[in-house]
Amino acid sequence: MSRSSGALARRAFRDARVRTISFAYLFAIYAYIQPAGYSHAYPTLADRLSFVHTFAGNDALRLFYGYPYDAVTVGGYSAWRVGGTLAIAAAVFGVLAAVRALRTEEDAGRMELILAGAVARETAYLASLAAIAAGVLLLLLALFAGYVLGGLPVGGSAYLALATASVAPVFAGVGALASQLAPTRRVALELGTAAVGLFLLLRVIADTATGAAWLRWLTPLGWAEELRPFAGAQPLVLLAPLAATALLLAAAARIASGRDVGTGVLAERDTADPQLRLLSSPAAQALRGERGTLAVWLIGTGAFAFILGMVSASVSSAGVSKSIQREIAKLGSGSLLTPTGYLAFVFIFFILAVSLFVCAQIGAAREEESDERLETLLAQPLSRGGWLGGRLLLAACATAALSVTAGLLTWVGAVSQGVSISLLRMLEAGANCMPVALLFLGLGALAYAIVPRAASGIAYGLVTATFLWDLLGSVLDLPKWLLELTPFKHVGLVPTQPFRAQAAAIMVAIGVLAALAALAVFRRRDLIQQ
Amino acid sequence: MSEQPTHDPQPQYAVSTSGLSKRYGDTLALDGLDLAVRRGEVYGYLGPNGAGKTTTIRLLLGLHRPSAGRAELLGIDAWRDPVAAHRHVAYVAGEPFLWPALTSAETFEFLARLRAPTRVPDGRESVGVDVAYRDVLVERFQLDTRKKIRALSKGNRQKVQLIAALATRAQVLLLDEPTSGLDPLMEVAFRDCVKEAKERGQTVFLSSHILSEVEALCDRVGILRRGRLVDEGTLQQLRHLAAQTVDVTFAGGAPELPALAGVSVENVGPNALRFEVTGSVGPLIEALAGHPVATLTSREPSLEEIFLHHYDSSDGRVEE
Repeated sequence: MSRSSGALARRAFRDARVRTISFAYLFAIYAYIQPAGYSHAYPTLADRLSFVHTFAGNDALRLFYGYPYDAVTVGGYSAWRVGGTLAIAAAVFGVLAAVRALRTEEDAGRMELILAGAVARETAYLASLAAIAAGVLLLLLALFAGYVLGGLPVGGSAYLALATASVAPVFAGVGALASQLAPTRRVALELGTAAVGLFLLLRVIADTATGAAWLRWLTPLGWAEELRPFAGAQPLVLLAPLAATALLLAAAARIASGRDVGTGVLAERDTADPQLRLLSSPAAQALRGERGTLAVWLIGTGAFAFILGMVSASVSSAGVSKSIQREIAKLGSGSLLTPTGYLAFVFIFFILAVSLFVCAQIGAAREEESDERLETLLAQPLSRGGWLGGRLLLAACATAALSVTAGLLTWVGAVSQGVSISLLRMLEAGANCMPVALLFLGLGALAYAIVPRAASGIAYGLVTATFLWDLLGSVLDLPKWLLELTPFKHVGLVPTQPFRAQAAAIMVAIGVLAALAALAVFRRRDLIQQ
Repeated sequence: MSEQPTHDPQPQYAVSTSGLSKRYGDTLALDGLDLAVRRGEVYGYLGPNGAGKTTTIRLLLGLHRPSAGRAELLGIDAWRDPVAAHRHVAYVAGEPFLWPALTSAETFEFLARLRAPTRVPDGRESVGVDVAYRDVLVERFQLDTRKKIRALSKGNRQKVQLIAALATRAQVLLLDEPTSGLDPLMEVAFRDCVKEAKERGQTVFLSSHILSEVEALCDRVGILRRGRLVDEGTLQQLRHLAAQTVDVTFAGGAPELPALAGVSVENVGPNALRFEVTGSVGPLIEALAGHPVATLTSREPSLEEIFLHHYDSSDGRVEE
């Protein structure tokens, strides 16, 4: 590699270091905790057999974790529980890394600066790929370290880590292609994320619907399963992600070499007759800017809710012993053995999704400030509190819309398969997403008011950390007071459990107080520049 | 935040600061600035990059908080009550930061509604903006208002900002290097607009480092250097402080003249001398009286020379 491309690659890697390192930590911790937790919770073969008999055969769980080829061994269990989940995270990482390296630079105009120097397009492209590859390698090492520390054999750990991480380069290819097609960074991210959702949906159908297993071969997330770590490994399957990555990257490179810098293949209309709706206030205008993103969230949430509702019909407790039911309850999921119990369990993930949406809204507010459009706004006769309050209100309303969508469409899905469940209860389950989301909205706003540059990271970090704390803490038998630090622990699992009004009220109150504090602090600080 | 009726209804100054200072970490960006711009005045605010011009404007708008002192627009404290202050102010930033997905026409509408959410009954005329004048400006600056901001060049985006601000009925226009990115033709159009604003009685606070622009437009000029106001006055007043140049040619050889206070001399030819005179030219004329002067031309210092004088004199360098 020449000196200039080396410098470019290092620059690109450094730009993405916070995200790369966060992912690596997350991967390592998750990879460590699952095998460790499993051996702890199910020490004997008999325990594991009965676990497999009931729990691993559960359609509902396959949705999240994928198909369990062998959940009796610690390795097979880890491959199932960790591999399936982290493969999704690896896919997201691939898209984010590729769009960041290949498109964000360009949209910011920095790529023109670099290409104006003595750097060829090919060099810049290869340097970006090298930076992404370094990130993927780091994830691979993190996974490997996690598995080994969690007690899995070295060779198997390496193969499992490879299987999970194999998803990342394919989706980096998807991100690279999206970066060439899309007219802006934002659209590239939306295309890439939509691809992740689509391939996940394929895997979900392949893993749960009878007779659809062949669909697994159509999705990179399925390939990761077909590699079958700890369950009769099929290393030849690695050819699929390799070939797909090479094809996607070659296609992206071909387009990149023939494309004007700063534009996309999918042209965007640059002239339009004036549309005067949604221009009456900054919040209205923000809604106008975010409506595409909001639509994607609503459609995605609705589609997943509908499918989960349908799947819930196949959940049953036939032949599950009482002791196993207790074990399952211990995993923090209430009763997973009835349709309602299953729906109550999946709503934890909707709460997570809505909370992550809130983080994205905090990020959007921060971006408006760092792009200095906020300066243009606040030079108008417009109060700072009015602006931030409007944005928070918009986020709260969008959160409500997402929550209700989740509740409504799970009900529609469940009822379509003949599950008898009350619409009101499912709407309640949807609304139950709000208190946690509002809590994070308030805390995120406060972080934004105090340390605007770090706000996005703090908000995402807080949501991820408290969620993992809930998920892992129950496996690890931590003391109760430690577990109760996370708001996810205080959510009543509607519809199985009653709505916990007191806890919800406390969360909303903390959220509102934090938001008020945010407004007060924001009123008193300098605006930041780029 | 509501309008407070305590504000002076007829304030004397459009822009005023007293002891205004701003510190960012270790850097003192603005150091005890005292400004008083009268209503209806066109005030040129000069300084090189990094002198503190943009900092001053951010403090005037209440976007940043003063470390010490006050900044007032029409007598309203910009930090304490920015909304009331901004009702009377239109601002053009040095860089056009707008919404990429909106067209120019939509941007105008958005900014107009933010100024005055309520509209007069005919629906077209918004209270805060002169829509007819805005159409004139769009024509004059040759802007295609159907184009989205992201498709516009920097100069064209700057025009969008300028038109939006100039078309307001604001009493004070705060312009921060407004012509950066404009071509010479558009700069002429801009100058016409500033003159029209003055005729309408608007106050213009023009921060700039383009000296010809300030020289052509401004009633008074302030020169900022490293966060301090080093000189201020009308061009005439500033000229008194700087040297004027007197070129003299003689019939025959140049004579030896006695040393005069405030006059430096330089040989520019076998029979030609150039004098740089600070203050009155009287003593020089007296000294020349007995000599065979062939031609005498005198030239007032340009603003550029005044400006450079302030930056060359003490430590010789303009600092970033």
